[in-house]
Amino acid sequence: MSAVDYGREALDFIEGLGAYTKVPDAMDALATAFGRYGFEHIIVTGLPNPDQRFSQMVLAKKWPAEWFSLYTQKGYDRVDPVIRKCRQTVNPFEWSEAPYDPELEPGAVEVMRRAADFRMSRGFVVPIHGLTGYEAGVSLGGVHLDLNARSKPALHLIGMYGFDHIRRLLDPVPHPSMRLTPREREVLAWASQGKSAWEIGEILHITQRTAEEHLATAARKLGAVNRTHAVAIAIRHRIITP
Amino acid sequence: MIHVISAVNRHLYEDVLEQHFRVRHEIFVEERKWEALRKPDGREIDTYDNEDAIYLLALDNRRVLGGSRLYPTTKPTMLSEVFPHLAAVRGCPSDPLVWEWSRFFVSRERRDGAFNLQLMAAAQEFCLDQGIERLCLVMETWWLPRFHDIGFVVTPLGLPALIENSWTMAASIEVRQESLDVVRDRIGMKNVVRHDGPRLDAVARANLCGLAAQRRSA
Repeated sequence: MSAVDYGREALDFIEGLGAYTKVPDAMDALATAFGRYGFEHIIVTGLPNPDQRFSQMVLAKKWPAEWFSLYTQKGYDRVDPVIRKCRQTVNPFEWSEAPYDPELEPGAVEVMRRAADFRMSRGFVVPIHGLTGYEAGVSLGGVHLDLNARSKPALHLIGMYGFDHIRRLLDPVPHPSMRLTPREREVLAWASQGKSAWEIGEILHITQRTAEEHLATAARKLGAVNRTHAVAIAIRHRIITP
Repeated sequence: MIHVISAVNRHLYEDVLEQHFRVRHEIFVEERKWEALRKPDGREIDTYDNEDAIYLLALDNRRVLGGSRLYPTTKPTMLSEVFPHLAAVRGCPSDPLVWEWSRFFVSRERRDGAFNLQLMAAAQEFCLDQGIERLCLVMETWWLPRFHDIGFVVTPLGLPALIENSWTMAASIEVRQESLDVVRDRIGMKNVVRHDGPRLDAVARANLCGLAAQRRSA
């Protein structure tokens, strides 16, 4: 394929990602897309801090079950040179480019060797660094890979968009019409404490009628049938804290 | 506040614009080492700093803290003239409702995330107000997750390529009320853009540029 063919295929895939509204469907689509480059295994994951467990950070994966349990049981994430490099760079890289000292880091030797036992002798990683400093990555593994100067930029973009799509499916942002004004949130927060419109009016120095209007608008924006329902939706979407 | 500075009101800001070219030189040349932009007089000015450029500059008592530049795609742009290979798949937009967004910078003292977000909000707010539908830009690819983070809808125009050792890509960003709402929510501010002086009609000016280009080619 020419560079433009790689590009067109990648961009078409990215633009079609929105059609997958469930994580397993999106992962199947990603597996097919990455499969065209020879990758057999995918993991989409946050990188654990020292006090976090790796298994809590994984957003989605297509890994052999046996490999995942070995990886978590042995705590390979603590010694994996790929994870270390993923934190340090914004550029995508091949697993073989993640440096380690075989003399001083037997754990790193072991994780790379065992991965190969599960048909992951080679791999490619797209690091993700978010605005608030969160660290994540999409890691792809396989044996016979189409990994070259033309395919890598395509994998780079598919990885980044794949990550974003999976993340959003797992943590949907409330619908924009659910956006409440600070006053509406305040009124709803008091309603969640069992206050009546009259009491809320007294607390906020507004009339009972104004308080009722704020509650009604908030309920309408949230698509609630009544005040109690509005409070429940607002709590569920963390618009107010119970 | 983030001030809109264009041909219609630049007489109110001559000192600020001068200062901003020097700040750009400090940041893009001295700090980020884009040697191609180096100028003997220490003012980073390129072909697109002309009467059709619109600047969104964050000012504190007329001191430039950060900013970005908008340029109509009805004229040749940095993307179409310097980096067309980055838009090899989808092509370079040329449309009065699509503007190129470039020279995004934040002075060293304000490199906290929130200030970045203010500049991003300013671009959305300005474009919504002017009826601009999309921004196109050349950016380092690691910015993509940051835009995703604040709900910007970013569509690639081609694949990333290494430019000066950084993976760089061309993309377009949709101007949407929802995107502006998400950033506003994050920074806890309502309006960030301020426009002094005569009213600007950016799209009409872009149309005019398009007409002029047609005349030249006719």
